Amino acid sequence: MKHTLEMKNIVKRFPGVLANNNVNFTLQGGEIHALLGENGAGKSTLMQILYGFHSMDSGEILIDGERVHLGTPKDAIALGIGMVHQEFMLVRRFSVVENTVLGLREGSGPLLDLQRASQKLKELSNRHGLALDPAAEVGSLPIGVQQRVEILKLLYRDARILILDEPTAVLTPMEKDQLFAVLRKLREDGHSVVLVTHKLTEIMEIADRVTVMRDGHVVATLAIASTSGQELTRLMVGREVNLRADKCSQKRGGPILRMEDLHVQDETGQEKVRGLSLEIHAGEILGIAGVDGNGQSELAQAILHLREIKSGRVLLNGADVTRLNVAGHRKAGISYVPADRRHVGSVTEMTVADNAILGLQRKYTRGIFRGIRETRESARGLVSRFGIRTAGIDFAAGKLSGGNLQKLILGREIMRGSAALIVEHPTRGLDVGAVEAVWRELLRARQEGKAILLISAELEELLNLADRIAVMFEGRIMGIVEATGASVEEIGLMMAGIMPGGTSAIGATMKEARHGQTP
Amino acid sequence: MAKLLERRLTPADSPLAIFATTTGAFLVAMFVTSFLFLSYGASPFEAYFALFHEPFATLRGFGYSLVRTSPLALIALGTIVSWRSGFSYLGFEGCFVIGASAATWFALLTAPGAGIGPLPFSFFLPLAILAAFVAAGIWAGLVGLVRAWLGGNEVLISLMSNYVAIFILQYLVGGPIRAPGSLPETKLLPRATWLPFIIPGTRAHAGILIAIAAAALVWMLLQKMPLGYELIVTGFNASAARYAGIDVGRRILLSAFFAGGLGGLAGMVDVLGAQHRLMDGISGGVGFVGIVVALLARLNPVAVIPTALLYGGLSVGADAMQRRASIPSSITFILQSLAVLLVLAFDALRYYKVNFAAFSGRTPPPVAEEVSK
Amino acid sequence: MSAFVVAWLTASLRLAGPVLLAALGETFAEQSGVLNIGIEGTILLGALASFLTSYYTGMIWLSLLVAVLVGIAANSILAWMYVTVRASQVVAGLVFNVLAVGVASTVYRKALGNSALPESITMFQPLHIPILSNLPGIGPALFSQTILFYLTIALAFIAHFILFRTNFGLALRASGENPAAADSAGISVQRMRYAGTLISGAAAGMAGGYLVLAQVGLFRETIVSGQGFIALGIVIFGRWHPLKATLAAMVFGACDALQLSLQIFGTHIPPQLLLALPYIVTILAISGLFGGKAVQPAALMTPYVKD
Repeated sequence: MKHTLEMKNIVKRFPGVLANNNVNFTLQGGEIHALLGENGAGKSTLMQILYGFHSMDSGEILIDGERVHLGTPKDAIALGIGMVHQEFMLVRRFSVVENTVLGLREGSGPLLDLQRASQKLKELSNRHGLALDPAAEVGSLPIGVQQRVEILKLLYRDARILILDEPTAVLTPMEKDQLFAVLRKLREDGHSVVLVTHKLTEIMEIADRVTVMRDGHVVATLAIASTSGQELTRLMVGREVNLRADKCSQKRGGPILRMEDLHVQDETGQEKVRGLSLEIHAGEILGIAGVDGNGQSELAQAILHLREIKSGRVLLNGADVTRLNVAGHRKAGISYVPADRRHVGSVTEMTVADNAILGLQRKYTRGIFRGIRETRESARGLVSRFGIRTAGIDFAAGKLSGGNLQKLILGREIMRGSAALIVEHPTRGLDVGAVEAVWRELLRARQEGKAILLISAELEELLNLADRIAVMFEGRIMGIVEATGASVEEIGLMMAGIMPGGTSAIGATMKEARHGQTP
Repeated sequence: MAKLLERRLTPADSPLAIFATTTGAFLVAMFVTSFLFLSYGASPFEAYFALFHEPFATLRGFGYSLVRTSPLALIALGTIVSWRSGFSYLGFEGCFVIGASAATWFALLTAPGAGIGPLPFSFFLPLAILAAFVAAGIWAGLVGLVRAWLGGNEVLISLMSNYVAIFILQYLVGGPIRAPGSLPETKLLPRATWLPFIIPGTRAHAGILIAIAAAALVWMLLQKMPLGYELIVTGFNASAARYAGIDVGRRILLSAFFAGGLGGLAGMVDVLGAQHRLMDGISGGVGFVGIVVALLARLNPVAVIPTALLYGGLSVGADAMQRRASIPSSITFILQSLAVLLVLAFDALRYYKVNFAAFSGRTPPPVAEEVSK
Repeated sequence: MSAFVVAWLTASLRLAGPVLLAALGETFAEQSGVLNIGIEGTILLGALASFLTSYYTGMIWLSLLVAVLVGIAANSILAWMYVTVRASQVVAGLVFNVLAVGVASTVYRKALGNSALPESITMFQPLHIPILSNLPGIGPALFSQTILFYLTIALAFIAHFILFRTNFGLALRASGENPAAADSAGISVQRMRYAGTLISGAAAGMAGGYLVLAQVGLFRETIVSGQGFIALGIVIFGRWHPLKATLAAMVFGACDALQLSLQIFGTHIPPQLLLALPYIVTILAISGLFGGKAVQPAALMTPYVKD
């Protein structure tokens, strides 16, 4: 059967990373094809090449058997390819029809013809089951409806191939079902859909075929009917270089950090942490597994009071620290390594020495002055102790490589001597050597008796480092398992919202919604 | 085929690179301005000679240069404190005026027969400094409040507050503290309130010492004190500041207060050291030239005094040039601002480096730098 | 009493004109994502250009045109700094204003040599619209303004139309709200921002001409003292909408005129308080007390870098 789309031997290099390594990808008419892989596997890059955002280093792309050149998104649009990005490309203040018409030069001359466009939009929306009010302001629409606008934009431009990048990341389960209904209809009408995702259950539910990517290359392309969630997990998660950490078993101490029934909202008022309770003991690493966006960052920020806690308590060594400000939390003994090392965890414009005391500036003082000598000693200490490769402590921290910057931040937070340490995605974007170094330090801190909360999307990391692993899904803990003897499949399924035993947790949120509680 | 200019990931920021682009920009500005001189039929060399000779090579002229330098330097220091904390305050013209008014009011109070009566200078000066600093500090602090609590745009609000301050000044010298007569100015201030002259044979006064002391204090604050560290972190990255436990709102308020206070000192220094009376038009745009000085000095307190001296001297030289060669003094405004505009443009050049390999037609090996994540 | 109101109203509209004009242009700049503080200096340059042209040629429409062209030329430098060099918009605009003052003073003094103040130049005279201007009360105020006033009002409506009813306006606004979305829709954000800045330059230049040719009648180096900044305030006050900006400008004009009118009628209020009133009112309007920030174009002042 002739393929609608063929991407052959695609190679794409970014500085320091081989994002696409001889990737082959095909798409047929009237199919939903999932592109599965972890963060950094290369799937987004591949699709951005298809949409004309990036140019490939080598390879060829064929549509309906003919070679095409995709230099800009305009080329892609002209060839009937459309993409819905993870971050919607919508102008919140504009109406639906204004967003749809943006960039098109139709109608009579320079004038906007919103009437006619609205008409066409209404027809399209009826035909595809995407109910919409063309005059509604996009910013006021729920996310699921905004996504419909994005899809309609593509259909308005006669897209035949639709690429959806992590479409369900921001949807409630109900909205997800509605989306899938739309996708099925599109498939019936002969459109092709590429679903870029790492959510297994959804792939099993809706896709026809799946291509699994890992570390920049394609691991397998399978028909859904002939595979299973377990097999896909295995294909997706396994790494080529198998890192093993030297974790000695140790008895864990008493509870240090406790969270009781925490409720935290994000900026838009959506609840991101729903009644979470956890206890972390001295000398243990409690891992939080889960796909990014299920409330982990909000949890971490809330513990440090960088984010308001709607209700619930945080207790450190028995003392209630919930209402303390950020400086108070740090003083009480909670350290934090944030996910964003360049824009939150450090000030890249300042020197390594100055970053070594970020958060500690009131401690390194001599009288009313800064203790410059002590600061520099501490910085030098960090550099040698944690093996940070830098030209000197007076160079801008922004010049450090990702790994060295992370070591700096981690080292700083460990050396504060806090009782509790919260670490978020510590090895994201780091090379193998840096990952090993970070792992070593975390285990060392564990040995020294700290209570460590490790938030990570990398299962392998959690299995190597954590004593217990809690899985977070939609702001709740699905379950906590001991790391030794834990099964990857079970954790993976919990990450996808399926409780041990097979029941889906997705229903829980819906039940709440029906009973009038805010989802 | 490799390009001649290769784009870097981050700009070259060694002190040498920054000094090179800054001086280069100034020199280019001088070059462009020389065409203006030509249009007046004057040789650029003669014009520049006139421009630089008087303020830097004559004692009397140097004295005047110092007089002009002090307020510029103080305002530049205020700019540095506020801008480096992330608070883009532009109301220094107003702070100057408020500070000058406060100092005048206090000085008049110490006139013989007035409310407080004559004070020994060692008492008077610190109190006058305090009055000017606090009055202008509160003035700027109000804008800081609006930014910290209401999220108002401090750029526009501070710009407009300048005019309000000038109207306050006009009101004061037109009515309540006006001297008898028809001019909108106060009486001459009591001799006992004048800042001492420091170079015999010139009008150079102790204000320059105050400015130098202030520069040292600002340097110390920013480099050597925990508060300064916190202000700088806030200015670079408010999220990182919060992460470090810094109360961003309070820091902005403090920064506004200090910056305004420094602007007020500029007014005090000018009134008590040079003008000896408060009058309409006393500020004359110094609030903006001071900001330009700070920009040319790259927001570095150490570079402020020499840069302010340069610009102060230029304004003295401009008057001399106008007297001697009939070239309007406003040309210096052009030189002074063009220099900074060119600095901005040249800054973009630091994003590029010359690719020497391109000369021989070779393609350079790919640069392996890790992606910033 | 009613004579006072009429005088006040007439003056309000008259004074509001130039500021409104500058604000209309600036609205385009800000809607595209650029905060152009340099309009203060541009108004000055436009004022000088129109004065000199009128002085030498006596043709007022030509003078107005020259003012517009000067505004565009001056702002092309600014646009380059804002969009291509991606310099700090506040800094570039501020320094440009100082430069404009220098240029204006220098050119003015050179052009006039050592001669004394020139005789007044030809000015736009108030039109008296037949019948309507004879209406009691509001007649003289509303219908006896100069043609530039009516032109400005017309421009307000045209600006509104362009911004909200054309493809160009949509693309422009998208560049200021979400440049990434505009980019992905195939719009050149750079081009939109250049356009916005040049439009604000044209309007500011013309506003300078308005000041000289329809209000003051001659050029002073202090002829522009804050009108550009007030225009910036009016853009915010008018919520980035040309028609609302018109109302905002009227409020400002009323404050400005109050001082003039009260002086004529004698009062004990210190004149400086009234002079300061427009500025104070604008400060209050943009302080955020009335929720200004949430409404501004989301990408205002943020340079756009294509990844």
